[in-house]
Amino acid sequence: MARLYEYQGKELLNKMGISVPKGRLAISPKEARKTAEEFNRPVVLKAQVLSGGRGKAGGIKFAATPEEVEKVAMELLSSQIKGIAVQKIWVEENLPIKKELYLSVTADPSHRRPVIIFSRDGGMDIEELARHSPEKIITHQMNILKGLREYEARDFIRRAEIFSSEQVVALGAILKNLYDLYRKYDCKLVEINPLVLTKDGRFVAGDARIDIDDDAIFRHPELGLASTEETGERPPTKIEIAAGRIDEGDYRGTAHIVQLDPEGTYSREIGKIPIAFDCVGTGTSLTTMDELVDLGYFPVNFADTSGNPTASKLYRATKIILSQPGIEGYLFVTCVSSQQLDNTARGIIKALRELYPNTADRPNIPMVFTFRGAWDEEARKLFDEHGITQSPWVKILRRDATEKDSALEFDALYKKWKKETGGLES
Amino acid sequence: MTMKKETLEFQVFSGGKVIIDLSKCNQCPSNACVQICNLPTMGRVLDLKNGKPSLKKDLKEIKRGACTECLGCELECELRGMKAIQIILPTPELDEYLKEIETKGMRPVYKVSWRSR
Repeated sequence: MARLYEYQGKELLNKMGISVPKGRLAISPKEARKTAEEFNRPVVLKAQVLSGGRGKAGGIKFAATPEEVEKVAMELLSSQIKGIAVQKIWVEENLPIKKELYLSVTADPSHRRPVIIFSRDGGMDIEELARHSPEKIITHQMNILKGLREYEARDFIRRAEIFSSEQVVALGAILKNLYDLYRKYDCKLVEINPLVLTKDGRFVAGDARIDIDDDAIFRHPELGLASTEETGERPPTKIEIAAGRIDEGDYRGTAHIVQLDPEGTYSREIGKIPIAFDCVGTGTSLTTMDELVDLGYFPVNFADTSGNPTASKLYRATKIILSQPGIEGYLFVTCVSSQQLDNTARGIIKALRELYPNTADRPNIPMVFTFRGAWDEEARKLFDEHGITQSPWVKILRRDATEKDSALEFDALYKKWKKETGGLES
Repeated sequence: MTMKKETLEFQVFSGGKVIIDLSKCNQCPSNACVQICNLPTMGRVLDLKNGKPSLKKDLKEIKRGACTECLGCELECELRGMKAIQIILPTPELDEYLKEIETKGMRPVYKVSWRSR
């Protein structure tokens, strides 16, 4: 799922005909001040981070004068929200709020269709509201083949039983546009919380949260999004963006790569040795990672290159995984799979040949490869034929090795390597 | 198929290309590239004509995925042929990342030496 920043979401809302407050992006206190001077009215400054609960974490602040705006912007731009550094802020006009509502369209996995959710009480966590006051929430399951007609949108809003006819018409139009946005941009969630009813009677989107389906990102180049794995509430790293390109539009197997410790600094902080990692099969991946951590290692990335990917995917994935700085080893383990492991091996071998041209393809860090499954003997043979196993720092394990064996063999090889070479220069 | 100075070149689905230097193929003792390409689980896009590899399928079909990007032709040619095949698979975002970390004085692990050396 790719989440848009609030300012990007508001741009889309605006494009679809939904009113948003006047606002501008700022990356410095001076820019924020200039915007406030132009608006010539009190503004709200909002940290542009992807995490939820931003307001409670101090990421939304109000300011009345340009001087105050500059000071608040300085504070925000040097702060972190849930561990993520704030690099940009959205400066927008402060709305005269009469009432806050909630409106969203999201995918409902239990019914396998989109669901519209509306509440007369917005501005708060909808899950919390659903727990305490479910009667305040109304929903409508959508039929994507029929779509949403304006009269259906109005009928839905009317169920809230608190709006005048004029308001029902206005909210119905907003809902119709929001649903159209959800479909047009292949969203998983479009949420306006709060949808503000202003004192002068307008409905304006106070916030915007839009999550796009990962698999549809390639259909929306206009959004300028990188196709990456889910990275939670932080933006994807450059490595993850590079890795995301491997699978983009290519469904011949997968290469899922997420960094857990991009520079290997966290591993060292907790006294572990940072290593790179790849597996065929997520279960094997997680199990092996657990074994490694117990032995004092920390995989700086999660990876799963399974589903019978092309050798070219393995080539790109291996190059990307081994480009992470600070790593002191590499472990590759397959589950007992039907994947054509000779192709898997070819991708890895081509990558090693390119990365180690001066040492006859032989790596400078300990590497253990466990091949288990279809064509596993061919995979091992290819490593032999290309001379990679002649390196004292490469070990190939066969189908009788478990995840624990792989981790233990890696541990033994690492210790030998460290003792004999002194490890890598810092 | 584009022929340039006895070169066979074709693009693959994931973005990238295979370049075969046909001038080296006359001396090839094995035609290993064609052999591996025609194994049951492979793409079967290479054929042998007049002792040199050629394409069985048209360029569009190959680019649409007929070539399964197994990399077998390049690696087999390296082992048993004339080292005449080069497969170029760009990774522009990775290249950009590597340039960026270089400016920060960082190096990927494969460019770092051992302490004892």
